[in-house]
Amino acid sequence: MPESRVLVVDNDDSRAQAIAACLQFIDYSPVTVDSVQSIKLGEHKPQDWLAVMVGGVADWNELGGFVSWLKRDRYHPPVLMLPPNHEKAVGALELDRSACLPVDYPVKYAQLNELLRRAGLVRMDQQAATVRVAGPSGNSVAVRRVKRLIEQVASHDTTVLVTGESGTGKEVVARAVHEHSHRRDKPFVAVNCGAIPADLLESELFGHEKGAFTGAITTRRGRFEMADGGTLFLDEIGDMSLPMQVKILRALQERTYERVGSNRSQRCDVRIIAATHRNLEQAIVKGTFREDLFYRLNVFPIEMPPLRERLDDLPLLIDDLIVSLEKNGHGTVALAPASVETLRTYHWPGNVRELSNLVERLAVLHPRAVVQPGDLPSRYRGGVQATAVVELAPIANETPVPGLDSVMPARKTVGESVLPPDGVNLKDHIENIELALIKQALAQSNGVVAHAAKLLNTRRTTLVEKLRKYGLTRELASDPEATSTEA
Amino acid sequence: MDKLRTLLIDDNKGFVVLAKHLLASVAEVDVIGCGYDGFDAVRMAEELRPDLIIIDLAMPGMGGLQATRLIKAQDSPPRVIIASHYDDASHREHAAGAGADGFVNKQEFEHRIPELVRGFVPGVTHA
Repeated sequence: MPESRVLVVDNDDSRAQAIAACLQFIDYSPVTVDSVQSIKLGEHKPQDWLAVMVGGVADWNELGGFVSWLKRDRYHPPVLMLPPNHEKAVGALELDRSACLPVDYPVKYAQLNELLRRAGLVRMDQQAATVRVAGPSGNSVAVRRVKRLIEQVASHDTTVLVTGESGTGKEVVARAVHEHSHRRDKPFVAVNCGAIPADLLESELFGHEKGAFTGAITTRRGRFEMADGGTLFLDEIGDMSLPMQVKILRALQERTYERVGSNRSQRCDVRIIAATHRNLEQAIVKGTFREDLFYRLNVFPIEMPPLRERLDDLPLLIDDLIVSLEKNGHGTVALAPASVETLRTYHWPGNVRELSNLVERLAVLHPRAVVQPGDLPSRYRGGVQATAVVELAPIANETPVPGLDSVMPARKTVGESVLPPDGVNLKDHIENIELALIKQALAQSNGVVAHAAKLLNTRRTTLVEKLRKYGLTRELASDPEATSTEA
Repeated sequence: MDKLRTLLIDDNKGFVVLAKHLLASVAEVDVIGCGYDGFDAVRMAEELRPDLIIIDLAMPGMGGLQATRLIKAQDSPPRVIIASHYDDASHREHAAGAGADGFVNKQEFEHRIPELVRGFVPGVTHA
């Protein structure tokens, strides 16, 4: 529920005000209009509202035009129709019933609250997907090994235990196993055992019967049931309480479970993939994790390497994250090669999640720009001085600066770049370096763009973009002679 | 005792006033600013360098989840507690996924927030 605004369209002013008061009471921000005509569509996007509530309609054609505009966004907010217009709206507005829902008037708080809660969850799921990349991305030895393990285990129904530091992409591994398995057409259901309070986790996993506890006003399916036929991903299983571990162990061993408040056992057909950032063997010694559960889970372990051990993957990961943001309409950004080089010197304690947060931040703060090293938060610039590329296009008029060596841990083997006394145009300098490297890579690969892209550890499409940027045509790139002349 | 320099972010101005009042009695907290959407949160986090941000999950334009992800990418990021009208497993999981350090049900704010905040005071162990 990241958006709090709810649009109320109603030509009955007193009803609109009553609905607005209800919405404020349940912590939403109502925006009321008497007709969609008063909404300047050029100043809005459909995602500006969590939901659109429609009451009295004076002109259905106008409303139809507005709904057509909404539908241009496939993730548009749901339309909640007040009586008596629901059936008419489904037909007239050509909306799917899942996107056009009836809502009672006078408003029933519980009904409205639940409709908006669900709309919020859908929105959160969509947004979480925009910052999630398929993968694991990368070509490093460590990632190639993980990919091989995924292929090996996917087709078997073996339980998998994914380990690795926080943010390394354990869920990405779990999703990849699911996508390569025969269960791929069934649900993949993830649950973060560490984020859910212990007293809620049992009903969340196994479901509950109506009246099982205070607040259980309806029967509810648990995540085991939701994942039936598919894969259940138990994230942060190392944070699970001991009593809950017993229940999970039983579900794994006997393939049955009971909803909270029920005596009836239910069969479960789910593949379990568990993950944790904790050292479970140490937890066993400490007595916080059951040894029998560990061996039940640790049938096929996959360890996701930390990002600092696969920095070669950084360019590809950044590309994938940017593509994901673009694809989902969340803006775009580009990182100058020098910025990527700078990021390679950082130790990435938060791993890929930290990189994803950084790329998203840069896309918001520097939309459509090329991010230079100076634009990065300072913690990422700690090792900015040493780069491997500087010797390839040295700045003219290099003059040693006394004492600089003491503060610049430059790698002598790859050369140094020294700032001239009267400064340098950093952007032009970096672009010259990039251009020189691209030309060399093309020359070395006889002008074959795909091979040059490999040498530069970047994607072919990215390189094609750069060729266009620097005015090197593809014909030129594929013509070894012309390329070498250029170089 | 060093107080936690705290930002309050919520589009519901009534809730901001109430939360500020309730936090006045929590000795570990010093409210240094208030904002009304995720954009305010990102900007003020950069400018004021708070120790803690208590942020609403649902706000116009940019909500608490996206703001948390962006704030966690700044230098020396503060602790973030996400406050939500809804308290269920899915909302808590989304908050954790965004990198929040805590989650509080707005309806239990008065009772839960002192304990959560004390977990962030330097010297006190927290997860």
